Amino acid sequence: MKLAGIAVLICCAAAAPEQTGQDLADGKATFRSNCAFCHGLVGGGGRGPALNLGRFLHGSADDDIKGVITRGVPGTTMPSFDFEKDELAHLIAYVRGLSGERNNFNSPQLRGDPVRGRNVYEHSGCAGCHRVGNEGSVFGPELTRIGAGRSIEYIRASIVDPSADIPEDYAGVTVVTREGKRITGVRINEDTFTVQLRDASQNFQMFRKDEVQQVIPEKKSLMPAYSSLSQDDLQNLLAYLDALRGGLNAGADVKKEKGIR
Amino acid sequence: MRRGAWCWLVFTSLVPAQNVTYDRLVHALSEQQNWLTYWGDYSAVRHRDLKQINTSNVKDLRVDWIYQTGQAGSFETVPLVVDGVMYLTGPNGYAYALDARSGRQLWLYKHAFPPGRKADGVNRGFAILGDRLFMVTPDANVIALDTRTGRLIWQTEMAPFNNGQYTATLAPIVIKDKVIVGISGAEFGIRGFIDAYDAATGKRDWRFWTVPAKGEPGGDTWLGDSWARGGGSTWMTGTYDPQLNTLYWGVGNPGPDLYGESRKGDNLYTCSLVAIDPDNGELKWHFQFSPHDTHDWDAAETPMLLDLNWKGRDRRLVVQANRNAFFYVLDRETGEFLMGKPFARQNWATELDAKGRPVLMNNQEPSPEGTKLCPGLAGAANWMAPSYNPDTKLFYFAVREQCDVYYTNPAVYIQGRPYWGSVSRGVTEEPEWGLLKALDPLTGESKWDFRYFHAPWAGTLSTAGGLIFAGDQDGYLMAFDAKTGKNLWRMNTGNPIINSPMTYMVHGRQYVTMPSGSAVLTFALPE
Repeated sequence: MKLAGIAVLICCAAAAPEQTGQDLADGKATFRSNCAFCHGLVGGGGRGPALNLGRFLHGSADDDIKGVITRGVPGTTMPSFDFEKDELAHLIAYVRGLSGERNNFNSPQLRGDPVRGRNVYEHSGCAGCHRVGNEGSVFGPELTRIGAGRSIEYIRASIVDPSADIPEDYAGVTVVTREGKRITGVRINEDTFTVQLRDASQNFQMFRKDEVQQVIPEKKSLMPAYSSLSQDDLQNLLAYLDALRGGLNAGADVKKEKGIR
Repeated sequence: MRRGAWCWLVFTSLVPAQNVTYDRLVHALSEQQNWLTYWGDYSAVRHRDLKQINTSNVKDLRVDWIYQTGQAGSFETVPLVVDGVMYLTGPNGYAYALDARSGRQLWLYKHAFPPGRKADGVNRGFAILGDRLFMVTPDANVIALDTRTGRLIWQTEMAPFNNGQYTATLAPIVIKDKVIVGISGAEFGIRGFIDAYDAATGKRDWRFWTVPAKGEPGGDTWLGDSWARGGGSTWMTGTYDPQLNTLYWGVGNPGPDLYGESRKGDNLYTCSLVAIDPDNGELKWHFQFSPHDTHDWDAAETPMLLDLNWKGRDRRLVVQANRNAFFYVLDRETGEFLMGKPFARQNWATELDAKGRPVLMNNQEPSPEGTKLCPGLAGAANWMAPSYNPDTKLFYFAVREQCDVYYTNPAVYIQGRPYWGSVSRGVTEEPEWGLLKALDPLTGESKWDFRYFHAPWAGTLSTAGGLIFAGDQDGYLMAFDAKTGKNLWRMNTGNPIINSPMTYMVHGRQYVTMPSGSAVLTFALPE
């Protein structure tokens, strides 16, 4: 059902105005220097969502895409950009062109079963570090809308080789106390004199550097590599994660009391 | 009796009239209790012969008073202190006079922008002459204020604002009867200049174009008409040698910043130090640090004037830790290149030749796919002030260890819009860091380094108390032993420090001040 809804969106997407080869070349140059950093050199995604799937998270009409670019996406790392009108039109035309023949949602990447994938998620201990909605731990990145925000390729890499790209907000650090105790966690803050981290029990751990033996930045991700998952389990897990497309403001609903004004 | 008391009250509540003569400015270092120019004096050594706060008692340093503006925007200003009164500029056209002992406000000035003009931005400080203060405004005006009231005396437009194309941020420098200023906007396709205005009337005396026109000397270093939007802004205050009657000014980047194809050539006098006669604005000599720059490496860093024994001979030198990661020593009478040594990671030049011109490495140009290069766009050093301690004979400055990926693309000029020729992005696979570096200016060698977790935007202050004051990007104001680099005191101010500290004395008590965020933080020892 969800996929059908997306297909409708694509059909309804406004046709791009006529663009010349030069316009597309300009759009490509703008894309490379402003967007590729997060969305990949050809829009395959990375720290930002894939843009070559023919579907866009916040609506696929030109005005929707324009809105995302010019206003950014609050609560994410997508900033706002201030392009000239022509520059923006060329960029959007180029981004649309990235999808090419890939508007096929029955791609082999998504052949898994999301219901079985949920079982894999639960039995592999993912919730011990990750949160979906109001369930799970806040130690690792929240996954409530991971399917909307990251490409399948990026999610797959994050599962089988999590150290390939470690988001800055989840860099690991180990503090060795004077007594020799090692405390590892996600670095919340570090400055010249102090470090604050969140340990796997979801507790804050805060230190002055002159009171500990050593502060060691972890070169590897704190997430173990799940490279031993069977192909079926991996495909099912990917299908489950891809289906996680919760709202940005989950949990922010205000319950209003009648009669109090 | 009643009337008499009233008159007495009015009289004493006035801010005392200042008479800061040119002679006092020339001898600013003989008034150690005051801070009379942006740099503290004309040479920019930023060292004070004050030792009440010193290595043995600095551990007791504490906040003495805080002035909060209640306004949006952050301070990047260095206050002037004249006989107990602190004068400082704020962002967005604000300026203040405070009692330097208590932080109580004496007056406030708010620049009147024309209706509909959205002009905001930082400001780096005042210059003073007689009973007048001079500052620039975000909409590229120079103004004179009355020291006693903050009342506007004159206002002169340096260049048309043009939707933010021309802006101004620096502290003016006063030489004799002239107020000398520079302009910002090399990211917006301007042609840069240095201007001198009559302190009495606000009338422009001379203009030095930092980008020569076609047919002028140096004009052949620009392809076609590219000089007309060639950049070369002059956004940091110069230094001055009264004996040589020479003004030294660092010139900013060429435009478009990251796209060099449309402006082939060395692009004089961008990324250069220019030596100018302040009486008429004529060029005496120039030295270009980064010919045909495509990395936004402005030469706006402090050109500090030092008189040192250079290889057996007393020489008048000008030194600069440049954004391009090299520390330079030049003869300031002739502009002769004497030494250039890298002080931070760099992978753009294999060496400097005998005349100081960089020999370029391969693959250092920005590219459509991105070129990773050190230092990054913000440079290995930048506008935050260094200092020189005559006791240790060391040069203390903030180093940024941060690399970027540089992209390029032909730039289209639209008035008031960025004219960059693409962008740079921080390298993400390795962390940035910073250093407080103590360097021997005679050799370019480090004596000690103190490592910061993040790349800093704060300068240094040196005192005869054996101390170096410095700030970091995580908000720590710190004091170090100038000899050893040992951190002796620190305080988390709660906001990144993007400024340089200064010190002064009133009624026998020494203060250290750092305007940061929207607060003026002033420190002293317990009474």
